[in-house]
Amino acid sequence: MTVELQHPMKAQSTPDEVARSRFTSGMRSLILNDLAADMRSAYDRRAAPAFKKEHGRDPETSREAHQALRGDPAFNIYSTMRVQAQKMVWASVADGVERESGRLAAEAEKADGEGSLMLDPSLEVPKNVHAIDVHLMPGSYTRGDDSLEAGAVYDRGLAVFSMGLMGANLDDIGLSMSQYIKRRYPDFAPKRILDTGCTIGHNTLPWKQAYPDAEVVAIDAAPGPLAYGSARAKMQGQAVAFQQMCADDLAFESESFDVVWSSMFLHELSKKQRAKAFEEAYRVLKPGGLVVHMELPPNEQMSAFDGFYLDWDGYYNNEPYYKGYRDEVPRELCSRGGFDDAEFFDFVVPSIGIYGDQAVADAAQGDSSEGVGQKTTGRLAEGVMWYGFGAFKK
Amino acid sequence: MSEETPNLADAAPNLYDEQGNPRFFADPGMDRFVAVVMNLAQEVWVQEERLLALEEAKSGGASDKEAKVKEFIDRVFAPIREA
Repeated sequence: MTVELQHPMKAQSTPDEVARSRFTSGMRSLILNDLAADMRSAYDRRAAPAFKKEHGRDPETSREAHQALRGDPAFNIYSTMRVQAQKMVWASVADGVERESGRLAAEAEKADGEGSLMLDPSLEVPKNVHAIDVHLMPGSYTRGDDSLEAGAVYDRGLAVFSMGLMGANLDDIGLSMSQYIKRRYPDFAPKRILDTGCTIGHNTLPWKQAYPDAEVVAIDAAPGPLAYGSARAKMQGQAVAFQQMCADDLAFESESFDVVWSSMFLHELSKKQRAKAFEEAYRVLKPGGLVVHMELPPNEQMSAFDGFYLDWDGYYNNEPYYKGYRDEVPRELCSRGGFDDAEFFDFVVPSIGIYGDQAVADAAQGDSSEGVGQKTTGRLAEGVMWYGFGAFKK
Repeated sequence: MSEETPNLADAAPNLYDEQGNPRFFADPGMDRFVAVVMNLAQEVWVQEERLLALEEAKSGGASDKEAKVKEFIDRVFAPIREA
């Protein structure tokens, strides 16, 4: 299903646009649930046995699972339809954003809640943000420069893309993760929280809700989504300071934050940027502070097929750093950044929107890494669960 | 071909075409053809929603469009489940 956003900049769509969005969400549901299951079946029945016949062993890595599946009819149909559905996501919202650009600007101008926006015209936006159409989103994150266009396309597109699995405010990841941390560490009371690579701040706002007394700062390299996110937050009465900045070059004092957080961000950075972002997170955290990231689960914890299933985006969805990120080891990312290896933890959180508050509370009390290998972990499909990892700074 | 034997002749020779677009089928026309079918089905669904709107206006009732679009997609795309 397609969700209807819950703020004044939500789309005022024509009936035809609503129908196109509904169809696109429905197609994605077919592809990511039914056709994904068909591909898994084909892998077990045809692709993996054929690989074994040729190599004398089963596929052992994501790359080998990919090699085994290339040319299989179930892989071909899943993949070509998924690429087209991704294009349809953005196409289904683009006309409405263009038509409503004036109204969006007026609504943003009216937003007078607490919070702030600080853009940095001197910042050179990194290539990974603008040089290609990231996840096939036309114009990427810099579409329309610092206008609201990129943010609106992302917000509305994500509503279609997520099929309702991210909630009506697209904040299920932030809600699930922040509530998990709050319940797992009930004595932890952060006073200053930083969201890095926040895009439109949809997963920033839950941290303000979880810790209302904390100052929440959200940064991103792209100006347009920040401007949109700032207005979006104000409209929802959430005081967040949005600043244009890169996660690998933070203009903050050392030991000035209690939490450094991100969601679905690390895989959009190059390996070099990612390493620097961890070093920067370590630098700006106070002793006792927490770095915590929601991301795709790493290949090292998944079977060859499940690893490839997630790596698919790295090959076919304009996500050039996706597989490189997934081949890295979260524990090592933290330790290379300066965090004590003994402080590392990873975990799986049930989607709070699907499973409810109690399931998140139960997960916070349970085995930290239970469920990483489950097929619902990290997959945006029925029953999704989110993977996270982090470390406290000693 | 046996159902349990992969037809590797149906693999594209390269992951991408000359423009850098993902390519899956050996015949590049197939990738484009599938996209056309999806676009066409989307436009048929737009017409279906227009008809539903007229029927709702006439009857005063409301239809569950989420359930209907699922039925529509399942019906139209049933043949691909055989892959």
